[in-house]
Amino acid sequence: MRSYLLIVIVSLCSALSGVAMSFSLETTPDSAAVRGINNSTYAHDNVQNCLRCHGELYYTIEDTLSGSIKRRLMSDHLRISTDEFYGSVHWNFSCLDCHSEGYAAFPHALDLRFEEAWGCIDCHGYDEKFAKFNFESIEQEFQKSVHYTAMDGAFTCWECHNPHSYKVQARESLTSENFIVESNKMCLSCHGSPEKFGLYSDKKLGAVMTKHDWLPNQTLHLQAVRCIECHTMQSDDVMVAHFVTPKDDAVKNCVDCHSQNSILVGSLYKFQSKEARSKYGVLNGVILSNDSYVIGANRNLFISYAGIAAVVLTLLGIAIHSIFRIIIKR
Amino acid sequence: MSEKMYLYPAWTRLWHAINAILCLALIVTGFSMLYSNPDRFVVNFSSAVAIHNVAGVLLTINYFVFFVGNMFTSNGKHYKLALKGLGQRLFLQMRYYALGYFKGQESPYPVTTEQKFNPLQQVSYVGVMYGIMFVLFVTGWGLLFPEFILKKLLGFSGIFLTAQLHVIMGFLIFVFLFVHLYVSTMGVTVASNFKSIVNGWQEKH
Repeated sequence: MRSYLLIVIVSLCSALSGVAMSFSLETTPDSAAVRGINNSTYAHDNVQNCLRCHGELYYTIEDTLSGSIKRRLMSDHLRISTDEFYGSVHWNFSCLDCHSEGYAAFPHALDLRFEEAWGCIDCHGYDEKFAKFNFESIEQEFQKSVHYTAMDGAFTCWECHNPHSYKVQARESLTSENFIVESNKMCLSCHGSPEKFGLYSDKKLGAVMTKHDWLPNQTLHLQAVRCIECHTMQSDDVMVAHFVTPKDDAVKNCVDCHSQNSILVGSLYKFQSKEARSKYGVLNGVILSNDSYVIGANRNLFISYAGIAAVVLTLLGIAIHSIFRIIIKR
Repeated sequence: MSEKMYLYPAWTRLWHAINAILCLALIVTGFSMLYSNPDRFVVNFSSAVAIHNVAGVLLTINYFVFFVGNMFTSNGKHYKLALKGLGQRLFLQMRYYALGYFKGQESPYPVTTEQKFNPLQQVSYVGVMYGIMFVLFVTGWGLLFPEFILKKLLGFSGIFLTAQLHVIMGFLIFVFLFVHLYVSTMGVTVASNFKSIVNGWQEKH
């Protein structure tokens, strides 16, 4: 892997502030090359301009009058991994497709920080191409969630889904374990980080493990179950539930999951059935090979015994009638 | 040689034969799905699921033939249930099966071309064809397309309720099968009714 170094002087900045900025850049262009990006394209050039600072751990500023150079640390929440960006679903977008044109100038104007970010629904809503994800229902669920209601709408999609690194995990993850880890990472990025949690709430953040003390086989559960299985209102309309409920409404009864009559079992059945149908069609995915049906899933002991009893009683009645027929010879 | 009447036209015999084969396949594979371990119990699990689904789809098509046939042919009249005096008619027929039959009495509702089912048969056939079978189709197709099933009803998962209703109806069909076969042996001879559903001609008592 070969890296290269660029120094760019932004003269516009000196005109505004008397200080010229220089940016030292070390990037690996390989991830972009892998995606087949033509380096001359506008989008790629625009992204590269931004990543000169936002893709790096450090950036430098230079006072062109005095020649003084300062090296600065790029804040974590403003830093974007080049590899992650080009591996994300939004890899072919220009930064200014989503951010204000004003960001083309440096230093960035203060009022840009109050710019309202676009949500997922703004691009993906009411679009046939994304119909299977049902962003409209996701938006409705999200607006009912405790995240949205507790913060008067200040909580946006981006708090959980980083648009600069977002991947469609369910389709691209190799294993379900990875999928669970990735899903839970989103929740833990705030609920496991007092610093980030403090951005949204003045409450003291308790340790996740302590809060789940009551849970039997705690480690196993937290490794094998997504947070949202218990902390959302499940819905059949969307692939991933977004109606995050207040903590007091979280699932706490074992039988809510560990029983045949569970919403979780129902959701999994529906999800798998729909997935199989969209992948293999009705004939192959549902009729000839219905993997969503699990052995014994519909077996209810009472109904099984009652059914067998009905059959036995019927046969007994037939046997008695037959015996009389034989005796009377009819 | 006893007198004969043409009771079962070709389309009803063909429909009945297909119905019988498919119902047997559904009952056997249904039990395999309900009670099986992964590789035993009559039919192995994955084959049972595939056969059950295919037979269910074919049975739906066959049911459509029956439904349309009954709408546009005279066969439909046998499924029109007259509610007035039904209780009395059922009582008389049950008493005949329990007592009169053994005493050698004539059936209170002998088979004619105008009335090929006695009241008990009529009630059970209408119940099976327009009640139980209908519920089986709705629940069966619902399980193939689960997004149409209610998420929750009366505190129960919709999928769970649908599956249980499907199983209960399946058991009722299984019970009906035994009774149907047994009552069919009560013709002029034990085999005469079986012959008539094959060749269409019914012997008169």
